[in-house]
Amino acid sequence: MNRRVRIAAVLGLAALAAGCAEDAPQDMFQPAGPNAQSIYDLSVPVFIIAGVIGVIVMVFIAIIVVKFRDRGQAIPDQVHGKPTLEIILTIIPALILIGVAIPTVGTIMALNDTSDTECVINVTGQQWWWEIDYPTQEGCGAGIDEPIVTSGQMVIPIGTPVLVRGTSRDVIHSWWIPRLNGKRDMVPGRVHTNRIEADEPGIYAGQCTEFCGLSHANMRMEVIALTPEDFEAWKLNQIKPYESPEADTLAAAGEQTYISQCARCHQVNGLEDADGAPIVSRPDLSVYSGAAPNLTHLMTRNTFAGAAFNLLSPECRPRVWDAPPDTVGEEYLKGVTPDCLNSVELREWLRNAPAKKPMYADPTKLEATDGLVRGMPNLALSEDQIDELVAYLLERQ
Amino acid sequence: MFTTGSKFLIGAAVLATISAIAYGVTQDGVMGTVGLGSAAVALWFLAGVNLFTRDNNYWADEIDSIEAAPAAVRAPANSVWPFAFAFGAAVLAVGLVTYQAVFVIGIVLLLASGAEWTAEAWAQRASADAEHNAEVRDRIANPLEFPLAAAIGVGVVVYAFSRVMLYLSKTNTVIAFAILGSIIIALAFFFAYRPRVPSKAAAVVIGVGALGLIAGGAAAGLSGERDIHPHETTSGLNEEGVDICTSPEEFEADEKASQSVGATAAVAATITLNSDGELTYDLNGPSATGSQGITLPRSNPNNIVFQNRSGEARRLSVSLGTIVEEGTEEEVPYLMCTALVDDGGAQNITVNVALPSITSPDGYSFFVPGVESAQLNLIVP
Repeated sequence: MNRRVRIAAVLGLAALAAGCAEDAPQDMFQPAGPNAQSIYDLSVPVFIIAGVIGVIVMVFIAIIVVKFRDRGQAIPDQVHGKPTLEIILTIIPALILIGVAIPTVGTIMALNDTSDTECVINVTGQQWWWEIDYPTQEGCGAGIDEPIVTSGQMVIPIGTPVLVRGTSRDVIHSWWIPRLNGKRDMVPGRVHTNRIEADEPGIYAGQCTEFCGLSHANMRMEVIALTPEDFEAWKLNQIKPYESPEADTLAAAGEQTYISQCARCHQVNGLEDADGAPIVSRPDLSVYSGAAPNLTHLMTRNTFAGAAFNLLSPECRPRVWDAPPDTVGEEYLKGVTPDCLNSVELREWLRNAPAKKPMYADPTKLEATDGLVRGMPNLALSEDQIDELVAYLLERQ
Repeated sequence: MFTTGSKFLIGAAVLATISAIAYGVTQDGVMGTVGLGSAAVALWFLAGVNLFTRDNNYWADEIDSIEAAPAAVRAPANSVWPFAFAFGAAVLAVGLVTYQAVFVIGIVLLLASGAEWTAEAWAQRASADAEHNAEVRDRIANPLEFPLAAAIGVGVVVYAFSRVMLYLSKTNTVIAFAILGSIIIALAFFFAYRPRVPSKAAAVVIGVGALGLIAGGAAAGLSGERDIHPHETTSGLNEEGVDICTSPEEFEADEKASQSVGATAAVAATITLNSDGELTYDLNGPSATGSQGITLPRSNPNNIVFQNRSGEARRLSVSLGTIVEEGTEEEVPYLMCTALVDDGGAQNITVNVALPSITSPDGYSFFVPGVESAQLNLIVP
């Protein structure tokens, strides 16, 4: 075996071994629900069939290339037409394709069926984050009596077929949680559905899979699957009334800073002005997509800015993300506590968001969008304002 | 002496140079100047090469031949294209100071006659045989000329027909074109049954018809279009202050409303008025019904299909709080509605709400004018 062949063999084995990575949260070959399982059950035999055929073809090519290589011999007699061989070589691939097509079409149709779903969750993509809202309904466990709006992390009860109804506010995005189902494009003006279901509690990662602009790679999302009891606890927490920070605290100052700097685009449900009127954000006046993440319960999710950054510190993150199924719900519901806050990245974000995540957020260069920003602009906050905001946001539990 | 090809290339190079300078001085941006400047450099280079090789009639190292060669070997035949080219340039210049359409015609004339002139001049250099040269020219030009001429012909016919149709009233259009169609069929039968009629007669008939059509189209086009009454819409009437969204009565905007459902693949919800006078809804999911009402995302166009199964014509309206009216600056009810939908029919309404429903003291709601029991809360979080 010469040196080149040995190098090629080592590289090939290395590539093969890369498929065995354990820390692969977006691995469709580790299905965690019946929808992803049906895709897995289809993909594996199709992959084997295709692989076997590929190997056979390549072996034949290698034999022919070696055996009939040019040695200066005379060109053999040229013949035309071998009807029997041609018919056989047409029928065999056709039969293989039919054999693959029948289960493929069946799986696609089964995945598109939404008649047995028990929970409806709306997902809306925009540059570069996902909004997730729960319409009022009798499904989703004990039902949703008040709409819930969150972002980045979708919380679902395990063992419940969930109907994701997706659309977009600006460009085409694509929703894909590989361990729960295949991908689905989210198109402005259209509603596309995607059913997901998780067998056991856990955090299932995904990211936008349709190129959507500058920060496409930073548009991530997670599905958090909880037991029905934990899901109920999460839901009750999401609809609990707003509590103002205690007077004369840093968080109370942060509330005022929030109102003056953030409430133009971000909504905190229950926040009122001095006259008792609800403070309602108007992102449609500043943001191209017309939306910005709802921050009412920011610290109940553990990522921010399109799930691109961790709200949990590096020390605390494994406590939740690496938790076994029987404790992940409990750990997740603890939210982000002051001792676990990833204040470094949150401060960096508040200091200059476009420097942390590329966005078309420069107000001086927005002729194409009539002055509307894509993403969060640099608000030029002072360090004191950042301290106040961090204290205020920490109470958004 | 300058050769024929060199004259052309030098002229083009001068034109490109002047254009580059003019563009650079008068227009913003550098790309146009760069493009024209590049063209000028390339053309000057080609002109130099062409001049040196004497249009490639002689080898460059045949010094004696080059120095002794005449500028042109044969005078070109008479041609209409230089005249057409000059006419196009004149039309273009007139168009610059009059109308854009004249300018466009000038450009088309200039390009077309320039292309024809170039093809003809090129073909005339093919050989000393004028007949052969004409064949060469046709072989090159006809594959372009025939489809273009056909496209222009069809375009003229369609445009002339459309002008006549838009000038005449609906009824007169039907009558006029029924008569015209009958005449064309009669003539076709006549020529089919009388094969001995000279082909010139058919050509004359077609020519007269074409001229008549162009003349009719031009006359109709100059006379303008008939008055076309715009069909009212519910949103248009709403903006005019007509209380269509609270009325069960029929308006002009309600005509043929049941035929206007579209975009069913992008439906956010289907709302049905049943025979009991109640509004029910389906969010495209089996368990999406609830006692609180229908929830729609904020700042997103939501397509709602309204199905009327009540037994009589009804419309679906949605109350979205109040809005400040432009001009009067007064707060007025913010309403949207479908047209009047016949029993069994359906219509689409797109609801895009920027503000959450908590901003309205009474919230948002769907309702059906004339049916008090038909109420459905709309929640926008």
